[in-house]
Amino acid sequence: MPAQTLTATLHVNGREHALPDLDPRTTLLDALRESLGLTGTKKGCGLGHCGACTVLADGRRILSCMALAALYEGREITTIEGLAPEGGAARPHPLQQAFVERDAFQCGYCTPGQIMSAAGLIDEGRTGSPEEIREFMSGNLCRCGAYANIVAAVADVARTPLVPGAREPEQGRS
Amino acid sequence: MTSTAAASVVGQPVSRVDGPLKVAGGATYAAEFDPGPGLCHGAIVTSTVASGRIASIDTAAAEAAPGVVAVLTHRNAPVLPYHEHKGLTDPPEGERIHLLQDDRVRHQGQPVALAVAETLEEAVYAASLVRVSYRPESAVTAFSDAVAHAVPPGPRYRDRGLEGDGGRGDADAALGAAPVRIEAEYVMPRLNHNPIEPHGTVARWSEGELTLWDKTQWVDNVRAEMAAVFGLPPDRVRVVSPFVGGAFGSGLRPWANVTLAAMASRHVDRPVKVVLTRRQMFGITGYRPRSTHRVALGADRDGQLLAIRHEGVSETSTYETYAEEQLGSSEYLYACRDVATRYRVAPRNVQTPNDMRGPGKVTGVHALECAMDELAAALDMDPVELRLRNDTIVDQSTGVPFSSRSLRECYQAAGERFGWSRRNPRPGAMRDERGRLVGYGCASATWPAMRQAAEARARLLPDGSAVVSSSSSDMGPGTYTSMTQVAAETLGLPLERVRFELGDTRMPTAPVHGGSWTMASLGSAVQAACAEARRRALAEIGRADADLAAVLRQIGEPVEATVRTEPGDELRRYSAHSFGAVFAEVAVDPDLCTVRVPRLVGAYGVGRVVNPKTARSQITGGMVMGMGMALTERTEVDPRDARPVNSSLADYLVPVNADVGELDAVFVDEEDPHVNPLGVKGLGEIGTVGVAAAICNAVYHATGRRVRELPVTVERVLGAAVR
Amino acid sequence: MEFLSPATWEEALAAKSARPDAVPIMGGTDVMVELNFDRRRPAALLDLTRVPELREWAPDGDRLRLGAGVPYAVIVDRLADRAPALALASRAVASPQIRNRGSVGGNLGGASPAGDAHPPLLATDAVVELASVRGVRRVPAREFYLGPRRTARSDDELIAAVLLPAPAGPQQFAKIGTRNAMVIAVASFALALDAGRRSAGTGIGSAGPTPLRAPEAEEFLAAEFDWAGGRPPSPAVAQEFGALVAAAARPIDDVRGSAAYRRHALSVLARRTLGWAAADYRREMAACG
Repeated sequence: MPAQTLTATLHVNGREHALPDLDPRTTLLDALRESLGLTGTKKGCGLGHCGACTVLADGRRILSCMALAALYEGREITTIEGLAPEGGAARPHPLQQAFVERDAFQCGYCTPGQIMSAAGLIDEGRTGSPEEIREFMSGNLCRCGAYANIVAAVADVARTPLVPGAREPEQGRS
Repeated sequence: MTSTAAASVVGQPVSRVDGPLKVAGGATYAAEFDPGPGLCHGAIVTSTVASGRIASIDTAAAEAAPGVVAVLTHRNAPVLPYHEHKGLTDPPEGERIHLLQDDRVRHQGQPVALAVAETLEEAVYAASLVRVSYRPESAVTAFSDAVAHAVPPGPRYRDRGLEGDGGRGDADAALGAAPVRIEAEYVMPRLNHNPIEPHGTVARWSEGELTLWDKTQWVDNVRAEMAAVFGLPPDRVRVVSPFVGGAFGSGLRPWANVTLAAMASRHVDRPVKVVLTRRQMFGITGYRPRSTHRVALGADRDGQLLAIRHEGVSETSTYETYAEEQLGSSEYLYACRDVATRYRVAPRNVQTPNDMRGPGKVTGVHALECAMDELAAALDMDPVELRLRNDTIVDQSTGVPFSSRSLRECYQAAGERFGWSRRNPRPGAMRDERGRLVGYGCASATWPAMRQAAEARARLLPDGSAVVSSSSSDMGPGTYTSMTQVAAETLGLPLERVRFELGDTRMPTAPVHGGSWTMASLGSAVQAACAEARRRALAEIGRADADLAAVLRQIGEPVEATVRTEPGDELRRYSAHSFGAVFAEVAVDPDLCTVRVPRLVGAYGVGRVVNPKTARSQITGGMVMGMGMALTERTEVDPRDARPVNSSLADYLVPVNADVGELDAVFVDEEDPHVNPLGVKGLGEIGTVGVAAAICNAVYHATGRRVRELPVTVERVLGAAVR
Repeated sequence: MEFLSPATWEEALAAKSARPDAVPIMGGTDVMVELNFDRRRPAALLDLTRVPELREWAPDGDRLRLGAGVPYAVIVDRLADRAPALALASRAVASPQIRNRGSVGGNLGGASPAGDAHPPLLATDAVVELASVRGVRRVPAREFYLGPRRTARSDDELIAAVLLPAPAGPQQFAKIGTRNAMVIAVASFALALDAGRRSAGTGIGSAGPTPLRAPEAEEFLAAEFDWAGGRPPSPAVAQEFGALVAAAARPIDDVRGSAAYRRHALSVLARRTLGWAAADYRREMAACG
């Protein structure tokens, strides 16, 4: 096969990134991680089965492993690095704060995908109840099993009423 | 965070100190390190037979593909020394596969070639062009006849205390005489760790020194193994692993990606990155082995256990023997005079299993606790009451007392929170508002409290802050956070003035991050190093009561202490284990036989809890893994060729958010003055132990049907055909 | 691998005609799995994401013409009243992220028997619109699935749209998976009642080499259902309906489930969806008054 390459420009987190020698097989995920050095977006399976690579494209959550980079030219991509208004730890996005406060992760590897997915979800408005959050956060696997705390974190930001007494994440000793 | 009162920081629900970095996408995992210019990507080609030899391997097309730098096979790979190396996490019997060193294939999915190219896409494409043919040899792959061909673990396991046969008294005679007896067989499938981060390594050689950025629970062992494989002095190898995207045991041994990345990097004289695909995660890493257990219990009519006989067989490979402590809990969990255990391994043409969260206990306790439920039914006795009736303060397998044991308190606390008293004892008698059958079940949980030697360094800086370090790992339990708490409290400094570092072989030596012993081992070393550094600083100005930060400013230069701590003989004088009780509620669709788990409630006696917030997360996370084991997880192995047939996250089903209902975990107050200086017993594994049994027992209570093979599929609940 | 990026539908058809081996890609759900899994290395990809017509929907006579590239999420959010069964099925597709990109066109193109969109298309007697430079043809969904991953689409054709009849009665969809979400169906079933014609439509997923109908079950229900009063079907009728649906399935044992369970589950799903549909039917009658 000839080494055919493309030239593409990706818009990521408000910045333009020229990819002059883009291999047409390159996924958006691999372009972010390997070419642009934006490793906050994670690769868990490469097959659309885990959700770790979730980013926003024009504000909608998508799986970047299931997207060819070349097809996303001209789309506005938002990754975890660009979620906070001023970028990063100084002024985190409310979801980022809530995830820390609710201990909504352990190893942290699925976390950027969870947070980007939650950002998309809140925009979709499917946060009326814990059950709805659970259903609509089910595209993101967490092998550490932080699901209950993830629901609590999303509910905090979406102002979803949690059932009193259920899944309080900070109960201590009996 | 506002300034935290230093003296009370241990025991506080502190948010993870590495949290802000992780939620910002700023935590750097192994495959994300930039080794500098010239990075190449390696893609692994794997075998498609379970046993045999490579007849031919054609790399011409791959080598001619665009961007390809090299294609390594056994024919051109460098001959490596592969000196003997047996780390604590390596099977003592047998020898690891020597990668690309000969034409022999020992399991499905064994690496047989590595394509190295400028980009990942080019490497993956080149790998697809490598043509390999095999001379297959007969392979033993099915597990159905394993019991008949199983063997004891072997002499080196015996030296480690895992003989295969154990117990006391005469279990057969006691069983024969027992007025109430049950006997049943339990089957557990192979399970894969499936951390969301795949295993991956970036390797770089520079002036004969090898640097590896790797996903591991034990940087020092990766260094030791690579030094042995490449014939290097260990100080010529550096391994860096500050963040681990989940491991659950999969990071206990270096997998092929480490050696291949290092080999290729030296071969092409450029940095090389090798990351396993998800499918390769099923063929190259270890896994919890398939096992079959047979349990016989005898009791008097009041529920006093008279006999326990527990036999287990699990799969291993042909080139190494992986054995785990599956039956020990049957010897100490309950009071019983006559106990016999017999554990065997069945070598198969598969890759070697390895420890997965709660190794051995998850398996053995599942069988025992399902059997206890069957005994309770046979006795017409409340399952909780049966456990409490056989509670003991002495470990009857050794005759020494438990350092602490709160099994009874755990059953009381969890049972109360769960509402066990609402349980109608008759199976099939409870329904929810949707007409589903409701079942309540319970099980005990246990995990040994162990401790290893550990070393930590505390460096106190003139600005009144401290950096504490050790080569440990944080795959998710919160090592960064809990060690920072111990250090801050010991030093008397505010939490935010203390930074804990880990994951680098240049740091003082930590034990392997596993076994639920990191806090007991390293926490003790951190505490000792901080106490010593503080003492030195205060000694310099000759005052023992001064404010440390002020003292450090006064001294004007760093004060440092590196301390190594070791366990004493306390674990010979006491039998030390964490204990717990877990309750499950299931809802079973009476027609479709789907099983859902609305609630899991557990109570645990784990000694002191350093951080109730992260501790609770550990336990509830372990519960989720136990739920997966109970209901959905299995690695299906094709009996014809040992190929894992569901090697993707679409077919190996770990729980999703919508599967998880209410999870409740509490810790009973427990002080253990014997076990280690911190009084901690460990809680990384125990959350998974017993969960599947509690769920199976609840399914029985809901339906009257015993499902003795995991996972509890709809077919098994329905009692229909296979699967 | 070559990229063909037509900006208009005409260009897309011309490109497909010139390169029948080009693989159309829209949401990427199926194509990317094959690319990433390395099963398939198409010589050319036909990028349809820039063709606006594929994302549009509009009335077409008394039917709804749904562009093949309308994402599942849009169907769930905006078309639940016009395509109830398809909207229910769309909500069960994979994950929210995939539902933002994946579309009925992709399901039809891949023609996996496990695709969640197929049973509603069969049950509602939807029509698949195929187009090429040769012209447009409309193939009923019930004639579209020919064999395992084989369809009535010719190599030079693209899937343009599906035409969904206006609902003339209740529609239901149910899916069984081993997990509560993000799961490939073990079995799925769709039921559509047509009060005007007094007929029933069925669709079976994940229980045969192709998506299937249960014609005998449809005829039985058309005859037995209380079209005038919408009375709940008797247990015997429900039982027989379920048995006929199960009998129409041609499942196999695989890693997701056994053939025996799939048949059993289909009989249950058929009974349940019938019960729900009958209740809906009575509600609609009461509302109409």
